[in-house]
Amino acid sequence: MQNLLALTTREVKAFWYSPMAYAVGALFLFMQGGVFTLLITVLNDPRIDPTWAKISQLFFGGTFFFWFSILIIPPLLTMRTFSEEKRTGTIETLLTAPVSDAQVVLAKFLGAWLAYLLLWVCTVVLFLILSTHTRFDWGPIITGYAGTGLLGSVLISFGILASSLTRNQVIAALLSFVAILLLFSLGLLDAFIHNPQATSLIRYLSLIEHTRDFSRGILDTRPLVFYVSLSAVCLFLTGRVIASPRWRS
Amino acid sequence: MTSPAISIRNLTKRYDLIPALSDISFEVPAGQIMGFLGPNGAGKTTTLRILTGIIAPSSGSVWIDGLDVTEHSLEVRRRIGYLPEHVALYSEMRVVEYLTYRARIKGIPRAEQSSRLKSSLEQCALTDVSRQLIGRLSKGFRQRVALADCLLAKPKILILDEPTIGLDPHQIRQTRELITTLGRTTTILLSTHILPEVEITCQRVTIIDKGTIVAVDTPEGLRQRRSGLQLVRTQWRGAPPSVIESALKQLPNVMRVTFQGQSDGICSFDIESQSGQDIRESIFHMAVKNQWTLRELSQQQASLEDIFVQLTTHE
Repeated sequence: MQNLLALTTREVKAFWYSPMAYAVGALFLFMQGGVFTLLITVLNDPRIDPTWAKISQLFFGGTFFFWFSILIIPPLLTMRTFSEEKRTGTIETLLTAPVSDAQVVLAKFLGAWLAYLLLWVCTVVLFLILSTHTRFDWGPIITGYAGTGLLGSVLISFGILASSLTRNQVIAALLSFVAILLLFSLGLLDAFIHNPQATSLIRYLSLIEHTRDFSRGILDTRPLVFYVSLSAVCLFLTGRVIASPRWRS
Repeated sequence: MTSPAISIRNLTKRYDLIPALSDISFEVPAGQIMGFLGPNGAGKTTTLRILTGIIAPSSGSVWIDGLDVTEHSLEVRRRIGYLPEHVALYSEMRVVEYLTYRARIKGIPRAEQSSRLKSSLEQCALTDVSRQLIGRLSKGFRQRVALADCLLAKPKILILDEPTIGLDPHQIRQTRELITTLGRTTTILLSTHILPEVEITCQRVTIIDKGTIVAVDTPEGLRQRRSGLQLVRTQWRGAPPSVIESALKQLPNVMRVTFQGQSDGICSFDIESQSGQDIRESIFHMAVKNQWTLRELSQQQASLEDIFVQLTTHE
């Protein structure tokens, strides 16, 4: 446990030492600010009837900015995790210490995921500002955050796996961006396929559908299982990749 | 202790079918400093990387402190300190911050961490730079940070890949003294190119060439097994070099005379004779007979370098 804590602390620190963190943070907050501006515009429009659940639905998954940050932030947060260690050779120093591969992978995951969560936590301020001017239900907003956090765990795991495959950060970011884009696009197929079984499968895999549910205040265990198991598979594969020199004889 | 600290049995490693190590076996007895010598590309680093569990062997087995490296990787890593050939550290961390982090992932109990850290910093003469960023340190200091990291957990076995590379002469001497001191309580496998280092610090030497072990012996044992010639160095005054050279060549058992140069009327010759034949007395008598001044007459001991070159040179 001391190992995992020490490894994770280093990951978190290393992230905030790099100028990348501030660039990503600024980009993210700029985009969320855009979402908030849209939200205010819509709420001020007298033609639109404001039902309270709509605030959360507009904020979580209702705009291009939300999906753009979901697609772009995780690759940027994870690109350096393993590829930088591979490029500089510190991965060998790390793997000759008495730490298990699982601990190393989990620490990398936690480091990036905490950074992702921290970015989202910053946006709570927007709701606090809103709450001084209008009354709304916090429930769907909390589930919206929970859904976004869980979704993030899958995307971060994709990014960690991509980063373990290459020593080039840019390639790692591109790989995870493409993987996340493909997963996201699966949900769009819904509109084109009319076979009921295929549709239900696509709905199960659709990030868009899940996010919509969460932002309506629905906590469903099915996406939870899907997200957790997909993250676990990615992290397991990452562990195999970093251990590969040890079993490839 | 009877069981060896490091035991390598029939180890083979192939990279894409090209053999890097072919069936090597050797042991390092507990408490000894073993020098591991070989030309570039001989397989030294490959061997050390297998020993530390970074890469897997193609066949054969490696045991550290009685544990199979592939089966008990974590246990083995707790018992070794490994200084890699290319030291890689997190450049954005401060020295003390990095070493604290390493102490924690090595599972050193919290109560001992600060005392272990302090003694590692002192042993490696890093106390003055402990607050500096690793990225701003010179190569020599970074090398010592990595060495301090190796010592943190007081490992039973140290595996050092070229520990003095990139250090200045003063630091090299300090590091060698440190290795010698550590060798009293720790088993050390020391891979190096620098032969005097082995002569100074090691009790035994393993020489590897082209992926096979060509010799395992003490430095003295290696010198004795050197076949061939003995060398006597001389300096003369009183006659032209050509006269002295032809007189030397006529002495019994002399194989070769090499003129080494002349200055201020003094000329130097290296004389090679067959091994086991001491020609120093006959050189002395020759000087007396011709009334030449003999300024130097010394038998040269074969250096480990000669032996190394002899064992690893292929005609």
